Amino acid sequence: MESTETLVTTVHSFPVLALLQLLPLGAALALIRVRREGPAIALGLAAAAAELALAAYLYVGLDHGSAALQFAERWSLSPALNYHAGVDGVAVIFILLTALLSLLVVIYAPVRRLRPVPHFLAVALACEATLMSLFTTLDLLWFVVVSAIELGLVGYLMGRWATSPAEDLARQRYYEFMGTGLGLLLAGTLLLGWNYAAANAGQWSFDLTELAAVPMTPTLSSLTFFLLFYGLAIRTPLFPLHGWLPLVAEHGNVAVAPVFLLGLKVGIYGLVRFVFPLLPEAVDRWSPYVVAFAAAGIFYAALLALMQTNLRRLLAYAVVSHTSVLVIGLFSLGTAAFQGAVMLSANFGLAIAGLLFMTGCVYLRTRTTDLDKLGGLFDRLPMIGIAFFVAGLSIVGMPGTPGFDAVHLMLEAAIARFGALVTIAAALGNVAAAAFLLWAFQRAFLAPASAEATAKIPPATWPERVIAGVVILVLLGAGFYSEPWLEVTDAPLTALAARFGLGH
Amino acid sequence: MTDPTLGLPLLSLLLLTLPAGAALIWLVPDPGRARWIALAAALVDLGIAVVALASFNPANGDFQLIERHPWIPSLNIDYALGVDGLTVAFLPLTVLLVIGVILASWTSVRTMPRLYYTLLLLLESTTIGVFCALDTVLFFLFWELTLIPIFFLVSLWGVGPNRRFAAVKYTLFMLVGGVPLLFAFILLAFNHAEVVGVSVPAGLSFDYQTLRTTPLPDGLELTVFLLLLAGFAVKTPVFPLHTWLPVLASDGPVSVAALMTGLKLGAYGLIRFVVPLAPDAAADMHWLLAGLGVLGILYGALGALAQTNLRRMLAFSSISHVGLVVLGIASLSIQGLQGAVFQLLNFTLVAGGLFLLAGFLHHRTGTTEVTSLGGVAQTMPLLAGGFLILGLASLGVPGTSGFPAELLLILSALASHTGAGLAALFGAVLGAGYFLSLYRRVFLGPVTAPAVAEALDLRRRELAVAGAACLLVLTLGLYPQGVLDLTRTAAERWVAHLPAAAPAVAVAPGR
Repeated sequence: MESTETLVTTVHSFPVLALLQLLPLGAALALIRVRREGPAIALGLAAAAAELALAAYLYVGLDHGSAALQFAERWSLSPALNYHAGVDGVAVIFILLTALLSLLVVIYAPVRRLRPVPHFLAVALACEATLMSLFTTLDLLWFVVVSAIELGLVGYLMGRWATSPAEDLARQRYYEFMGTGLGLLLAGTLLLGWNYAAANAGQWSFDLTELAAVPMTPTLSSLTFFLLFYGLAIRTPLFPLHGWLPLVAEHGNVAVAPVFLLGLKVGIYGLVRFVFPLLPEAVDRWSPYVVAFAAAGIFYAALLALMQTNLRRLLAYAVVSHTSVLVIGLFSLGTAAFQGAVMLSANFGLAIAGLLFMTGCVYLRTRTTDLDKLGGLFDRLPMIGIAFFVAGLSIVGMPGTPGFDAVHLMLEAAIARFGALVTIAAALGNVAAAAFLLWAFQRAFLAPASAEATAKIPPATWPERVIAGVVILVLLGAGFYSEPWLEVTDAPLTALAARFGLGH
Repeated sequence: MTDPTLGLPLLSLLLLTLPAGAALIWLVPDPGRARWIALAAALVDLGIAVVALASFNPANGDFQLIERHPWIPSLNIDYALGVDGLTVAFLPLTVLLVIGVILASWTSVRTMPRLYYTLLLLLESTTIGVFCALDTVLFFLFWELTLIPIFFLVSLWGVGPNRRFAAVKYTLFMLVGGVPLLFAFILLAFNHAEVVGVSVPAGLSFDYQTLRTTPLPDGLELTVFLLLLAGFAVKTPVFPLHTWLPVLASDGPVSVAALMTGLKLGAYGLIRFVVPLAPDAAADMHWLLAGLGVLGILYGALGALAQTNLRRMLAFSSISHVGLVVLGIASLSIQGLQGAVFQLLNFTLVAGGLFLLAGFLHHRTGTTEVTSLGGVAQTMPLLAGGFLILGLASLGVPGTSGFPAELLLILSALASHTGAGLAALFGAVLGAGYFLSLYRRVFLGPVTAPAVAEALDLRRRELAVAGAACLLVLTLGLYPQGVLDLTRTAAERWVAHLPAAAPAVAVAPGR
């Protein structure tokens, strides 16, 4: 049967994926015992760097030409819940990005003086461990459970190191939205499991490979699709389910929690990994409606972003706007569409993380992100300004950044499926994003500020320069030389497109 | 056969020398050296460009100095460079203009000199890339990358109070213009896949030469034509999409104003992409091009008449002049095209030179407003003289390089679109009106402003810039045959590619 053929798994000699999840978790547990800052930072850096090396090993060791889920590991834990992990080219992209962003977070934390540092690093590495688990698991129930842990940890991170007294409201709204999302996700998951059980004599399973083999009635698959889609859309976040984000962005901490929430597009990954392979008919059926909402979302969010006077809220709306672009790409269905969407989500993730880190560096000095009170930062912080600018261009899809190739692929797919109108809307949405990002950049970095105000701003420290440099180098490197990233996602996404009856 | 290029990838060298110079600027610890390094890099580049021009064989109408390497193989996107007779002369002139800009900025740019010269070199490199790219995606890359240096140059070194507004306005206009361009290139690539019958993405093609010979269905061809036209019209600029130019010219730095008006990349795009990629649609819609041209000529001239700022006047006059170029392209004839290319080459010297001279004036007096000037010729005779020579060249006075170009353009326009040609003649009369009237008020008459009375005339460095521009303008004016020979074969091929129904022109001036 064709559907099982694309979900083959291959086993590796030693459990790399388990190590990938346990390494940061172990480091996090060890950090609880560390009291002093120096050793804690050293341990955190070592763990994060080792994790990045492990992710790189995974990239090198992966058979790029194969669509199979590789490095598979499987242990039965209970009749229904299994540990089943495996990766393909798509997962590897997200894993690499997680490892990179986590390393940047570990470098960033001492700079931002998020005290107590050992405690903070422990939570950050625990977040990394849960994210790695999300990007490797092949069990839908496991995905939901770990999502809950991850969202809890990020929520704690946000509340514990918040920057604003209104943090209570932000945290409350965050938990309300995320709780709803998880509930929907769980309901959809249980429906799938129940459907499997009904077909297999009461034997429950949530395993991707097994669920994919069981057909579903159209009504049930539509219902399941909406449960899963909305469950993931809330955390992504997709218009009109983004209500939590501006509050969290404004009142939570500046960079760290948003980086974990927005830099790593778990929602998009969940769609690609679980929803699209499991419910291809429903995805195909409902894609025009999803795209219509997304097209509206691009402009709604861009318009609101243009009206913000706070840089952090502006970035929040930027995320809503570009997530809509991403969803249009994804639901254009086809290899080019999927490749574009995966690349675009990695690109947006890195770029928005870069913007958030740079905003954090600015906040550290000015204690405000109000655009009216900022200005003249480029003279004092040129490197941070350039990183902010490059990341902004990457979001806009400027040629020379990975955003361009991704948008290019996505536009091709969108033209083929939805015609000119939606495609032009998506492209103009990018121009609108350029408008507010350029405007924000000018206000914060280029506009003149009073001489005393800027003279007091200390220059960038070494860790900050490292973060800025990494953001610039990775974005430009992947932008001018995108072939490796296209190549690694080609086989699995061609296989996914084949499930929709669409080849290249 | 001897190969004067010695087998070197000349065009890549041309592109890479400048970023290498930019990197060197940051490696050398003394920021004061930045201008020297920038100048050295530009001079090396000029040498390479001259070698490229010398090794170019004008008798061959095809692309030469071709380099091709796979860039994104899975989408058939290549790093492909090459020049033909229509583009090769732009390379040395572009570099020359940038050298002029570097020299003009020598003492006037004091803040962050490293960044300034780096951006200038990057802008030059991407501009050369625009002229050389033979892959539509590579072209688009260079096309959009020119925006980044301009954004920073205008925001940080602009002279007017609205500089940041000008920078955002320009960038957004260009990004909006980029959307139809990219869209058209993707449509062309899809069409190629359909024509050769290979599925996407294996059948995609972004190669300019391949796309030029790929047949397009009628409806699609019209769409592609209109999309490309829209994209390039913003940059040209064509009325009513021109509003970014005057504010950029008056509030941006002199360097950017000189480069923007000197290098008419939009008109180049019309010649390189719009007509050859959609020849049938272009032949059907020649009236649209001609109409846009006439509109630009008259609107620009009338706008220039109303200006009281020298720099804004130059901006509007450049809208008028580029309208004439568009009209020449619309004639779809060899003469029209040769005139258009000649005029575009001419702009790098004339418009670029005029803006640099206006910049010298601004540097001395702090203004280019007519009301605060007057009698400039008395204290600055050399500046006034240079401005007059270049100004006359922009009017197309015989003896200057403007004359053969404008003659070719107007003759071809009269032959193909008689009414439009008459309007163009009227535009030329208006041009004399606004230029001479403003010249009289700024440069002649009594000295009233103290800033003018105390100002010194051009120094040696500035004189070299102005002198070189004037000299080249006069040389090309007396000996236009060189340029005409260079562009003839390529122009013939350009016209031969059009459907036979295109308006034919029998006049053959120059030979």
